[in-house]
Formats: sequence, structure tokens, C-alpha cells
Amino acid sequence: MTLKALSSRKGGANRTGTAEGLDVMPLRYGDDPYVWACWLYYEDGMTQGEIADAMGVSRATVNSYLADAREKGIVNISLEPARLASLTIAQELKRHFGLADCLVVPSDDNARPLIDRLGVAGAHALQKLLKSGDTLAVAWGRTILSVGEHTNIGSLQDMTVVQATGGTTASFAYTPELTASAVAQSISARCVNITAPAIVASAQMQRMLLDEPLLKEQFAALGRANRIVFGISSLRPNSTIHTSGFFESVSLQEYLAKGAAGVVAGRFIDERGKPVSGPLDERTIGISLDMLRGIGTRIAVAGGFDKVPALLAALRGGYVNVLITDAATGGGILRADGVTSLDSRLSPRQKPVSAPSSYRTHVKKFLNNPNVVVEEMLDGVVKAHAKHLLPINGSHRALVARHGPRVGKVGLVIGGGTGHEPCFIGYVGKGLADAVAIGNIFSSPPPDPIVQCALAASGGEGVLFVYGNYAGDVMNFEMAAEIAEEQGIPIRTVLTTDDIASSPLEDREGRRGVAGNFFIFKVAGAACDQGLTLAACEAVTRKANARTFTVGVALEPCSMPQTRRYNFEIGPEDMEIGMGIHGEPGVSRERIRTADEIVDTIMDNIFKEMKAAPGDRVAVLVNSFGATPMMELYILFRRVEQRLAAKNIVIEANWIGHYCTSLDMAGASISILHLDQQLTELLHHPCETATLTIN
Amino acid sequence: MQTFSNAGGGAIVLSMAERIIENRAYLSEIDGKIGDGDHGVNMAKGFGMAAERLKSKDASLAEALDTLGTLLMTEIGGSMGPLYGVMFIEFAEKLEGNEAIDARTYGQMLHAGLEGIQSIGDAKVGDKTLIDTLAPAIEAFDAATAAGKSFADALTALVDAAETGRDSTINLVAKIGRASRLGERSLGVLDAGATSCAIILKELSLGARGRLQ
Repeated sequence: MTLKALSSRKGGANRTGTAEGLDVMPLRYGDDPYVWACWLYYEDGMTQGEIADAMGVSRATVNSYLADAREKGIVNISLEPARLASLTIAQELKRHFGLADCLVVPSDDNARPLIDRLGVAGAHALQKLLKSGDTLAVAWGRTILSVGEHTNIGSLQDMTVVQATGGTTASFAYTPELTASAVAQSISARCVNITAPAIVASAQMQRMLLDEPLLKEQFAALGRANRIVFGISSLRPNSTIHTSGFFESVSLQEYLAKGAAGVVAGRFIDERGKPVSGPLDERTIGISLDMLRGIGTRIAVAGGFDKVPALLAALRGGYVNVLITDAATGGGILRADGVTSLDSRLSPRQKPVSAPSSYRTHVKKFLNNPNVVVEEMLDGVVKAHAKHLLPINGSHRALVARHGPRVGKVGLVIGGGTGHEPCFIGYVGKGLADAVAIGNIFSSPPPDPIVQCALAASGGEGVLFVYGNYAGDVMNFEMAAEIAEEQGIPIRTVLTTDDIASSPLEDREGRRGVAGNFFIFKVAGAACDQGLTLAACEAVTRKANARTFTVGVALEPCSMPQTRRYNFEIGPEDMEIGMGIHGEPGVSRERIRTADEIVDTIMDNIFKEMKAAPGDRVAVLVNSFGATPMMELYILFRRVEQRLAAKNIVIEANWIGHYCTSLDMAGASISILHLDQQLTELLHHPCETATLTIN
Repeated sequence: MQTFSNAGGGAIVLSMAERIIENRAYLSEIDGKIGDGDHGVNMAKGFGMAAERLKSKDASLAEALDTLGTLLMTEIGGSMGPLYGVMFIEFAEKLEGNEAIDARTYGQMLHAGLEGIQSIGDAKVGDKTLIDTLAPAIEAFDAATAAGKSFADALTALVDAAETGRDSTINLVAKIGRASRLGERSLGVLDAGATSCAIILKELSLGARGRLQ
């Protein structure tokens, strides 16, 4: 290994203590670059980039020094055992019970009572989980009151807290009313109390009270709760449930005899988490177990070893998806549920954990939970475009045009993976596609939503499937077509293959479908809307596909929401010609050139295949892959227009913008549709969708 | 004759799911080099959902494979959903009704899976797909049993051949799927499907071997 002269690092004195320009390693590191790199990283707190400058090596080399140093044992990372244990237990609880989140308070900290420590942890959780506009249901209890006392969040707006059960005697401090108002105060929320007793004298009284308009209003507020925080009561003899007088002891005995293991928001559950019925059910006023389970975020805060059976029951019953507990209780729950591997994992590790292997930075994105980006996007889509779109049977993965399908009209179903927005959802509406099936990111939908779309789109004249030519889409749409035909709906399919860079002309059928989808969908939708037969719709769609030519160029790669890392790399001076819409690398990599030169390369390729004579008419689409701004698209269009004008080809219509994207990829594609009389008419046929409206 | 019990074999599918979830980042990483980088994410999602459904049940191997296959087939989409979906459903059908699974049944299971995949996809050995793992693994298993080797030894041969098959994809040019558009540029990179297939076959076969009686 050779070391270049130490370069002067920006921002600060040369902390290595070596005179600049000396081509040596500082004395104190011996001749070991691993030790040197580790010192700079762990002791001097330099970044890997700074170390690379200081050592005169690349950042990748620094990264591998640091990783190797971990393996060689030069660096040992140790975690404080109690914290490690609580972290391990939290991870295991989360995994074992499929929780959204779990916070475990270390057990060694006996300086403060458990109830306080759980309160602090619960406060932490509320801080992290609550969002402005939430309605938080609050159940009663000592632990939850402690959460309220330790919470202080001033930054939330439009918060509502609803008491989750009726009220109780004020013989103790943690009544439902006080618990709810303590939490409400701590997050500056409006507080809705349930102004009836939690347990009334008779079933008849309960029905009468629930019929009162005031209580109806309070229960409606409770029904709007999107989060709930609650404790878990054990039914052991010493538990507060006995001492509080919340339940009559006679009734309690009856529930115990039926196997009740715990109480969740005033309702009894057995050790499997199943509701236990008894004399109080008809006399209780408060949230039901079903209502509770329907709430999105269900935060249980409870600890203490006597609560293990009750907590386990609540976890098994699915009443909890965020758990706040302490390490002893958490470990107890896991052992009680048969997790035996925990103890070995809690002992110190022999082998150091592998070092972070990546020095790449993550791409910043607007995310809540990377695992549900598609669901969250579709929630937004369905709300934003309610005028055009309607979920089929409640599923956001299959959407039908509100004013699309009608009797006597061929139905048009499109679809594919997500990440291409506004494709495909933006093209569903009157006069265009009748339904869209939506997959995961860059991944075809499974057959079922496609079948749902076919059923919804069918007007008795058959259904046309139009989608991009990708192995996964073909498999799933073909299966769906078979199923739909079994149900009596004739299906025809046109695969879009407009990307001329993806395969040579001899293999035109093997090409992929990209932004030219826009034109092909438009033509297909118009043909269907004009009442053409299924065969005629298919034929003209094939013609549109055969006359649409697209070439894309990528400047920067895209990154998936789950990894937030670039899928591949494009060199600092390079571009990829022939880039598709899934971030697949293109077919050739070249030095980046001027915008006009890039357009010329694209147009030369298109002119090779498009046999347009002077006077012919075309439609042009200049499409961003996601990150490229309109400014640059117009610069590209400017040159496209010049090239077409020079050949005396007339632009009948043009679109410039985001029409078929590839997440956050920088780049653009140019699509040309070579028009004839029929295609021109279909292109101008009225339509009304989220992305395209033609009057 | 060595056999293993179908009952309780659902645990093998759970550990298969664990391996796939552990390798989520790795599979996406290699997929990203020549594909779109979502292989690990989609596989982990599908296997995770199946594990969720199987977790509290003491399912037989056949039931667990059926749950996994049906889930991949109906809920995952992409190309891996149907391909692995059909494979696991075929696996399950061959095992159904067998209390004790012997080498012959296991072999029939493997062949049914391969035929299922070939009925919906066009890939052949050498196209740089999961077939490059699956086909030689089955061949090795068949050869070992034909040579009179024990079920345990045949399973070992299967795992070795699967891994060799997976590694063979490094030197192949992709002919199917999105990577095929890259031509020569797909050389030098493992195929993500072949890699996940090796993980699946290894976990399934080691699980079977560990339960032999």
C-alpha cells in the first residue's frame, strides 16, 4: 500500500500531528493502517471521507479498513449489558408477536419505581407515535395516569383525547376521567369524557344510556380514535382490579372460573386472548374489544411480573401492536410463550457483529413506514382522485373508473407495478381505461386484482388488457385472463413494446413497454369508448403500439423506498442510453453530452424505424423519469421540434411532463406516435382522467 | 429406509422464511446489479406473510408449503410470485397424504415443482434464472438415489448441486427477464432468483435431513 502525502483536511487543525507533506504514517500508529484508520474514526471522530483525505486513500478503502478491523479484533464494540438485554428483548418481542414497535425499559435501574419508568417510556412512545389531528382513546389505570404525568408534547395540533370507558368511583386517583384528562392536558388535546358509569346496574340501564344522544355523541368520538393507549390488568389477587372496586367481587369470581386471564379496557380475556363472557358484559359502558382491535395504533403500557399471563393473553389476542414494558416482564412473556433462544442471545457475543458494510449514503424521502409506501400512496390516490376512481370491493389494488364501464362497451384494463406514477392510475377515467390493477413497486399485480378489474370493466362486449411487456406482468395477466374467460368474459391482450432501445427490430415483440404506454392507452381507451368491437379495439391498439417509438436516457439511478439506496450506479460523467422505467441499467453507457446531442441520438434511432414522410403527423411525449425538471424537458422538446420540422413532420399534439416515471430517477424519454387518420381521431377523442383531460 | 414425518414439518417452512428475511438486503443488492433491486424485498414480504399465518399453527410440511405457495401466487405478483407460487403448490400436492416422506416422494415433489415452473415460464438451464439452481439440484438428487445412496446423502448432494448451480449463474448471460436486455453486461453477477432458490432448497433439504428417522 502506498500512502500519498497527507492532504490538509478542511475544517480544523491537522489532528494527526504530522507535518504536511511528509510521506509517512504518524509514529503512534506503528505501520498499521488499520489502527490508524480506527483511531481517526473512533477516537478522533472523523468521518470516513475525512479519513480518506487524511490517509490519501479512497473512501472504499477506509470503509474496508474499518470493517476488517472489527473482524481482526482490533476494534471491539461492547454494549452496556442491561441496555443490550432490553434491546434484545424488545427486538424479540417485536418479531415474535409481529408488533409494529416495542420499547423495553432496562431492569437494572431500580432507582425509580417501575410505574414511573413505564410512564416515561410511554411518554416517549406517545412523542414518537402521535401526529397532529389524531384522536387518542385513553383507558384508565395507574400506569396510564403515569404516562400522562410524564408526557409533555406541545407541538401537536387538533388533538382529541377520548375516555375509553365510562367512569368509576373516585376512591382512587387513577379514575378513567382523571387518566383521560391527564393525558389530554399533556398533549394539549380536547378531552371527550364518557359521562356515564363504566358499569351500570342492569343491562336495561346500559341500553337506555347508550341510547342517550349525549352518549351517542361521545361514542362517535370514541369511534373516530385512530390510536389507543391502555394498561393491562392482571387478575391475580393483589392486582388493582380487586382493590379498586371497579368490578364487583362476585362477578369477578365468575369470570375467573371461566378462565379469564386479564382485563383489557374493562373487558375480560382468556389466556388465548379470546373474550370471556359473563354477567358484566351487558352492563358495561365502554370500548368493546372489537372496537379496540379496529384501532390502528394500539399502545399497551404495562409491566410487573404478575402481569405476564395477562400481557401474553393480550398479545396473543392481537389487542396490542405497540408494547411498552420492562425487561423482566418482557423476558417473562417470551419464555412463557416458548421462546427458549433468548437466554443464549442475552449473554455477551463471542463474535463481534459485522461492521456496517456500506459507506453509501441513504437517499432522503418522504416516508412514514417504508414497508407500506404503496398502501399509503394508494390511500392518497383514492382520496385525491375520488372524482375519477373508485376502489373495487374496497381494495385499493384494483380501481375502477367512476364513469367508465358501461353496457355495450368493450372494457379496457391496464395495470402494472407502482413507482411509475402517474402511470397507471392517472389514465383511468371516462374515455380512457376502465380499471387498473396495481402491484408493488416495479412488480406486477397478482392475478386476483386483475380479475376484479376485468369483472368491473366488463360491459358484456369483452375486455381488452393492455400492459407493458415484462415477464412478471405477462404471467399474472395471463393467469387473470384465463380466470376471467372461465367466468364468461372474452379477453384480448395487447402488450406494449414501444422501447426501441430494449431489443433489435427483429425482436420487436421482445421489447419492453415504457412511456409510449401513454399513447397506446389513449388510443385503446378512445376505441373502446367509441363502441368498437373487441377485435377492432385490439387491432387499433396494436397499430398504435406498432407506430409508437420511445427511447429513454438516464442521468442518475433511482432508489427504492425500502432501501433508500441507489439501485445501481451511473458514473459522474456518464449517462445510460436505453434506460427502461424500472431502473434496469440501459443498453449502453456513454459520456454525457449536450441536451441537443442527446436528443439527436434519440431521434436518429427513432427515425431509423419510423417511416414518416414529409407532411406526416405525429404526437410527441417528452417524459421525465421522476427527478428531471420541466425546464430540462422543454429544452429537450425544443430540439425534438427542430428535428421534426427539418423533416417537415407536423406535430399534431404534444405532452411534456411526468407521465411515466421511475421513482426518483433523473432522466427522460422521448416517445413519438406516428399518426394516421384513425389514430388522430382517437387521440383527440374526449377523455377525463386524473392526468389527462381532453374535451 | 429413511423417511421423515410430514406432520410438524411446517417448522421447516418457518425457518425457510427466516433465511429469506435475513437475506432480504443481500438479495435486493445482487438483484439491483442487473435487475430492479426488489427481489429481496418482495421475497421477504411474501415469506414473512406466510410465516405470520403459520406461526401459531403446528402445520404439516404439505400444509405449510401450500399456504406459502398460495400466498406467493395470489398476493405477491411480479414474476417471482407466480413462479415460486406454482413450485410450492406443486410441492405441497405431491406431499399431501403422505405421513412419512421417503426419497421417492421427495424426488417426485421436486420434479413436480420444476414442471410447474416450466409450465408458466420459458426459462431453460443456462438462461441465468432460478432454473440454473433447481434443475441441477434435482438431477444430483436423482443420481444419488439411483446410485443407491441413502436419503440423507442424496439431500446433501442436492444442496451441493444447488449451490454449484447458483454459482454457475455468475458466468452466464441473462436470456430471460429484465436482466436479459443487458446482454453481456449481465456477466459476472449472480442471478438473484438462482440465489434465493439455493437458499430455499438448502433450508428445505437440511430441514428434511435433520428429521430423518
